[in-house]
Amino acid sequence: MNFAMALDYQNCINCKACEIACKEENGVQLGADKQRIWVGVTENSIFGRPILSLYPSQCNHCVDAPCVDVCPTNASHFADGGLVLVDQEKCILCKGCMEACPYDARFVDDKVAAVDKCTFCFDTRISQGKATTACQATCPTKVRLFGDLDDEEGELVQLLKSRKFFVLKENEGTVPKLFYLFPEHDDHFAQNSIGHETTIHTWETFKPLIDMAKAKRSKQWTSL
Amino acid sequence: MDKFIIAGLEINKTSLKELFFNKTMLLAYLFLILGFYGVYEVFDERYFSLTANARDAGLNPGSREVAMAMKEAIFGDGGEVKREAPWTLYIVNYMYMIYTGSAIIFFVALAELFNVQIIKKTAAGFMTFGLSMVFGGLFTIAVDLNILHMLSMFLTPNITAGMWLMLPLYAIYIPFVCFEIYLLLTKNKTLVKKIAWIILLISIVIDLVEYYIQAKLFDMNTARHLWTTYPLLTLYFIVSAFVAGIAVMLLYTFIVYKEKLQEEFMKLVNFLRISLLYCIALLAMYEAVAYLFIDKKWGAIILFGEFKYYFYIYLVFAVGLPFLLNFKSHTHKIFIISGAFFAVIGTYIGRYIFVYGGNAYPMSNRFGTGFEKYSEYEVVKEFLFFLPHFSEVLVVIGSLGVVLAAYKFLDTLLSVSTVSQEH
Repeated sequence: MNFAMALDYQNCINCKACEIACKEENGVQLGADKQRIWVGVTENSIFGRPILSLYPSQCNHCVDAPCVDVCPTNASHFADGGLVLVDQEKCILCKGCMEACPYDARFVDDKVAAVDKCTFCFDTRISQGKATTACQATCPTKVRLFGDLDDEEGELVQLLKSRKFFVLKENEGTVPKLFYLFPEHDDHFAQNSIGHETTIHTWETFKPLIDMAKAKRSKQWTSL
Repeated sequence: MDKFIIAGLEINKTSLKELFFNKTMLLAYLFLILGFYGVYEVFDERYFSLTANARDAGLNPGSREVAMAMKEAIFGDGGEVKREAPWTLYIVNYMYMIYTGSAIIFFVALAELFNVQIIKKTAAGFMTFGLSMVFGGLFTIAVDLNILHMLSMFLTPNITAGMWLMLPLYAIYIPFVCFEIYLLLTKNKTLVKKIAWIILLISIVIDLVEYYIQAKLFDMNTARHLWTTYPLLTLYFIVSAFVAGIAVMLLYTFIVYKEKLQEEFMKLVNFLRISLLYCIALLAMYEAVAYLFIDKKWGAIILFGEFKYYFYIYLVFAVGLPFLLNFKSHTHKIFIISGAFFAVIGTYIGRYIFVYGGNAYPMSNRFGTGFEKYSEYEVVKEFLFFLPHFSEVLVVIGSLGVVLAAYKFLDTLLSVSTVSQEH
């Protein structure tokens, strides 16, 4: 298994239901800036006309995650399914992983005095055989689709085969597993919400990158 | 003064009053009190601030603590560590103290290797002060690394992480430097002569490894391009640390050796002054070239953006003023002291720019369409900069107390600052 998520970010309406569901289900510390998942907002304008982009976000569970390499205690580790998890008992709060993450996906949960991040709802759902995350289940506009990249017939891979997509900061070499779906039937939205240097992928062009990174890292996946 | 002799080491028979209540120690205690108040503040924030999650709110309806925690979550400043800038003044001070202390030790070892007599006579004092600075740095990082949880470093080590590599290195480095000081103090000339070269060469190799690992620690943060694009980071650390280290040695010389060395005093000062000039020239050359390689986003922020005044102050203090004030050989002592003082301050600002600069360019431009807000209640930032928390400043002051206390303790017992006549 290789868990991942596709995000049809064009559908996001910034209702924050996903953030609330995540906090409720995973016991995340309260506070607007203490988030496992969040909606990133950018504001621009062209000739005075405002352009607002909404980017639903969370840990990318990178196949080649730099946060795991810098952790001195193995608190940050790979788990089965390519999940990047934090064992909070082992976390000494060196903050090295927060520095190493290119996506600012980690924060300090002051309630447990340890670093926290998205787990793809491993504790509350995936470990119990459920096939969705809390954020996916609660989203009213169906932004997210959680699934297994190794399941070629699965809904996620089928979606990625049928749509173009991009990942964030590809040049950092992290091989992230949040796939942002290229906006369909709306070139204007696509032009304004995707940076010029972003590479647009198809499943055929991106799968080799995943396979290569997985071959390198899957030996580190620990059994859950 | 009467002495005990243990393993050839002469230990002064001193009273407890003399050992613990001299002027330097009292100053060290003042700094340490401030430092430990800072540690208290840090731990209070880290472990005892009011926090709550949804379950607390559900299980304790109407609870005042939960209400206060929720209020703090919204209107407070968001805990001890900010997501966007996890490494702050602790790392600056840690780097400065460790690198500068190591540079002093490194420089003394090099001078011994090249048979510089005036440094040989004063080596024990310099090395002990350098080692004390290393202890000061370790004090800072112990607070930052949450010493209460550090056992996990040993129980489940990830030995390839740069941070973990530091621990075994110090476990070798510190005893090794202590052994060097021991050899210097015991005047065991036969043994020293037999193994001097081996000790010095090992010392230099260990120093180089230390700087390399320190550089690796930053270089592993692939997303922070200021650190990963700095060319030859190990070399930069060595050169800038040498400027700071020699400047500290100059100040130490004026405080400690003015009376003790008498006619040789100016010889030592001039040797250090000229060494400082060479190192400043190297640092200036490095800085002139380095920014051609640094990621342009980070380079722009530091050279022309919001960090530019810090950068100019760094250049003026660490390079310009010390060079001008120390350029002439017979300048008044006040020029040399001022030059060294500016170099100490300037190189500290240099470290500050390096650490804060690594975080300066927000990671939040993830889509290439502009920066996203880090905080729900703040405006969008195009660069990140936070003044250090007051508790961090206090911990830094405390680290000065550690340096003074460690040095004075060893000096009172072992007379490390006594000029050696064995050479």
